[in-house]
Amino acid sequence: MFNRKRSQQDFAEEIKSHLELEADELKREGLSDEDAHRQARCEFGNVRVAQERFYLRDRWAFFDKALRDLRFAFRSLRQSPGFAITAILTLALGMGANTAVFSVMNAVLLRSLPVDHPERLVFVQTSNPPMGTGTVDSNLTFSYPVYDALRNQNRGLSPVIAYVPLSGNKVAVRYGPEPEEAEGDMVSGTFFSGLGVNLPLGRGFSEQDETDHAAIAVLSYNYWTRRFAREPDVLGKTLFVNGVPMTIVGIAAQGFEGVEGGSSTDFWIPLQNRRELNAWGNPPEDGKLYSTNSTWWCLRLIARLAPGVSRTQAVAQLQPLFQSAAYIGLGSPMQGEKPPVLSLGDAKPYGSEQKLARPLHILMAMVGLVLLIALTNVVMLLMARNATRQREFSLRLALGAGRGALLRLLLMESLLLVTAGGALAWAFAVAATRILGQWAQIESSLAPDRTVLLFTLAALALAGLLFGLAPLRVALAGKAELALKTSAATSNCDAGKSRTGRIVVTLQLAMCVVLLVGGGLLIRTMRNLENTPLGMDVNGLVVFGVKPNIASIPEGYALYAGLLGKLRAMPGVESVTIMEERIGAWWSDNSDMRVDGRLPDVANGASRTVRSNVVSSDFFRTLGVPVLAGREFADSDNVNSPHVGMINEEFAKRFLPNTNPLGHTIGTDDGRYTMTIIGVVKDHKYRSIDEEPIPMAWYDYAQIPYIGGMNVEMRVHGDPLAILPAARKVVQQLDPNLPLIKPMTQRDQFNTTISQQILFARLAGCFGFLAVVLVATGLYGTLAYRVSMRTAEIGVRMAVGARRGQVVWMILRDSLLLTSAGVVMGVPLAMLVGHALTASLYGVKPLDAISYVLAVVGVCVVALTASAVPAARAASVDPLKALRTD
Amino acid sequence: MTTQDNNDDRIALLQGTLDLLILKTLALGSCHGQGVARLIQRQSEEAFFVDHGSLYLALQRLEDKKWISAKWGVSENNRKARFYTLTQKGREQLVEKTGEWRRLARAMGMVLDNHHVPNREEA
Repeated sequence: MFNRKRSQQDFAEEIKSHLELEADELKREGLSDEDAHRQARCEFGNVRVAQERFYLRDRWAFFDKALRDLRFAFRSLRQSPGFAITAILTLALGMGANTAVFSVMNAVLLRSLPVDHPERLVFVQTSNPPMGTGTVDSNLTFSYPVYDALRNQNRGLSPVIAYVPLSGNKVAVRYGPEPEEAEGDMVSGTFFSGLGVNLPLGRGFSEQDETDHAAIAVLSYNYWTRRFAREPDVLGKTLFVNGVPMTIVGIAAQGFEGVEGGSSTDFWIPLQNRRELNAWGNPPEDGKLYSTNSTWWCLRLIARLAPGVSRTQAVAQLQPLFQSAAYIGLGSPMQGEKPPVLSLGDAKPYGSEQKLARPLHILMAMVGLVLLIALTNVVMLLMARNATRQREFSLRLALGAGRGALLRLLLMESLLLVTAGGALAWAFAVAATRILGQWAQIESSLAPDRTVLLFTLAALALAGLLFGLAPLRVALAGKAELALKTSAATSNCDAGKSRTGRIVVTLQLAMCVVLLVGGGLLIRTMRNLENTPLGMDVNGLVVFGVKPNIASIPEGYALYAGLLGKLRAMPGVESVTIMEERIGAWWSDNSDMRVDGRLPDVANGASRTVRSNVVSSDFFRTLGVPVLAGREFADSDNVNSPHVGMINEEFAKRFLPNTNPLGHTIGTDDGRYTMTIIGVVKDHKYRSIDEEPIPMAWYDYAQIPYIGGMNVEMRVHGDPLAILPAARKVVQQLDPNLPLIKPMTQRDQFNTTISQQILFARLAGCFGFLAVVLVATGLYGTLAYRVSMRTAEIGVRMAVGARRGQVVWMILRDSLLLTSAGVVMGVPLAMLVGHALTASLYGVKPLDAISYVLAVVGVCVVALTASAVPAARAASVDPLKALRTD
Repeated sequence: MTTQDNNDDRIALLQGTLDLLILKTLALGSCHGQGVARLIQRQSEEAFFVDHGSLYLALQRLEDKKWISAKWGVSENNRKARFYTLTQKGREQLVEKTGEWRRLARAMGMVLDNHHVPNREEA
């Protein structure tokens, strides 16, 4: 009996009993049976209302009402499906674009690593490496002695974690009979424990594993899913990495794909000590691996701040230790050399990729504008719709609806629109991020997460409130009496209202100009990049990597000579060459070079850097790069013949001016390898499409005391990719463990270096287009609405003699005025945006006239198109009908 | 909907006074809803009009507050009826509310009695 809820039946029963008791009493007072009952009921009043009040008493009345309002709102939206669909789609597009871009920004710039306490994690960075060292990244890679010194202290950083890729791109692995490629890192024993990454299956590595160079591997959850279908039996099986058997001992936590964004690591092995598994897949230098070569700065370091230690404290404590460890194996710093300075950076997945930050911020601003246009569009649609409903509202008020009820109805309608639009937007964003990831070649997940959801919900809530409240003023302006005495001609001509509409349309047109100019500049940048001459003929070229195990240098020469012979003999092949660094892949070998026995003089502060590559015979013939003087490498140049080298025009111009470069000697900066220049080639692109001409030099692979993995370049007739299966067969005859690494056409390879710009431009183009569509619908909606409001006025005008042309001109003049106002406002804004974009442009000035003219013309065309239909409708108004309507 | 006869002298109950009237009525002994309504009307010499719907809701409200308790029983003329009884808590409330009401009535009386506006008096 603890305050059990009383049923409605019980209450009804009580009222019945009341009526009986009352009737009894009335009968006693002398009324007839019938009269008594009637009067009892009369006295009681409305039984229904009493029961309803009882029902509502212990119910969340608001919820009940809300449900009713919702149903009502749904019915009222269904009555104007055109409006509802336009509003929902507009919202979905605007919001979806924002969610997608924010999602990418979140994944790339905001999200922390999926590890334990990411805020205590830091990337170890240096201002510069000491002179005389080779580096992979001059700020982010360290030598083994530095790693060793840092991990053996525990004052500032504990633990210090090292990791290094097994290859610049992918490594050869084999699980079954077929070789494959995968992305793998060698890591210190503290990698999983130090980062705090869980292993749902199996185990991670221990420091003992690092010391023992244990032959074990941990797979990423993603790789395990993709390649092994989440087979738990995979533990204990063998994965051959570059032919070396590794036992799979664990699976890393879902979502952990390594500590660097943009790529996803497939597997990890402890730091190794064998030539097949050197850092970055490089062959040993003078027989030394990464762990013994103290002048090769190749390891990336990530560390956890020791408990209670701040970043500044850690840096202060470790600076002296770092600076002494930096010179292990180098001796003392050279005269006037700036010693390297240690610093600690945020352990963000894209901590080092700040180049993505700017484009993303610009994109975010662009989609913000698109959203603004979309929102104002929907608001204007709502206002227009509710203005035409003013009489409906007045009627409702007259019939006794409270203003509260009207407000609830409007809010419910907006809630419905926002919910439907938001759901669509989310679906759209999920799909868009997937496509974006592919375009941007970001392999790690960009999918929206909780932060993104919160962002979207907040934006939607704001939109919902805006949509609900904006039309309220219009709705409530109608007094109850209005319903009866107004007609279309008088009730709908409100100067203030239409002024707001005109201002909004003008602003939209201005934003549209800004977006179109931005999009135009970026698309022209993309065109320029795509049409940049590479200095070679990439059509018909296909490239792939091979990384055979090479026991000795002579064996390596023989192997590649054999491979080249077999590939050149294949039908449909015009020529074949090999190169150490794949061109058009961001990689290059940069160093100073001696010219005629000494480092060349350069003007103050100028760079001496030369980009070099190691290639075989037929390199320039295969690429289609003209040899301007001398000859190129031939098969007759070999280990026993005099060392020969080649340079490009820029090298000759910079370091051997006013002389015939042929016959001069060039060599490495330490003077240990020299070669005679036998040819000069025309400048061409090496690393990327947007690079400026830079001195370049080429070594003959068959002459240098160093040999490792190579990239094969083939010029073939017909579809370049069609040759790959046959080429794969040839390679696997050599060694069944060898996959073709990243096979693709050379054009695609070069295009990867502008993929970000292309992506950026395509997105900007899309958003510009989206803005145009939205502005067109908005303008059309507003004008169409205004024309329909003025039907009666137009009717009167025509009745008193206005010609159709005059009526059309009246409508068109209106939109032309708005357009010119929008253009006048938009152009200076666009100039600001163009200025902000300067860094992202290539071959286009921020004040590119064509982009501006096209944008303005585009906006005018859109405005005129959007006004054409309403204008035509205005012209076809039948004066008699128009006047009779009300 | 409650309709009120304009030429009726009954007074619509002030908010909150109904609770007090119910408590007072029940202080005399347990009673069903119809009885409470009749008693209130009779004791006020038919001056109060009790909206029955409101009465039953008030009864329910008081029951929820545990000022009164309810039980189905049989009336003197053998009809099934729900009988309400004052609880201890209700009794305390009755004393308190009665005091409050008296103070209010006195204050109202003082204000209304002491401010004659002579100008308005007609000769």
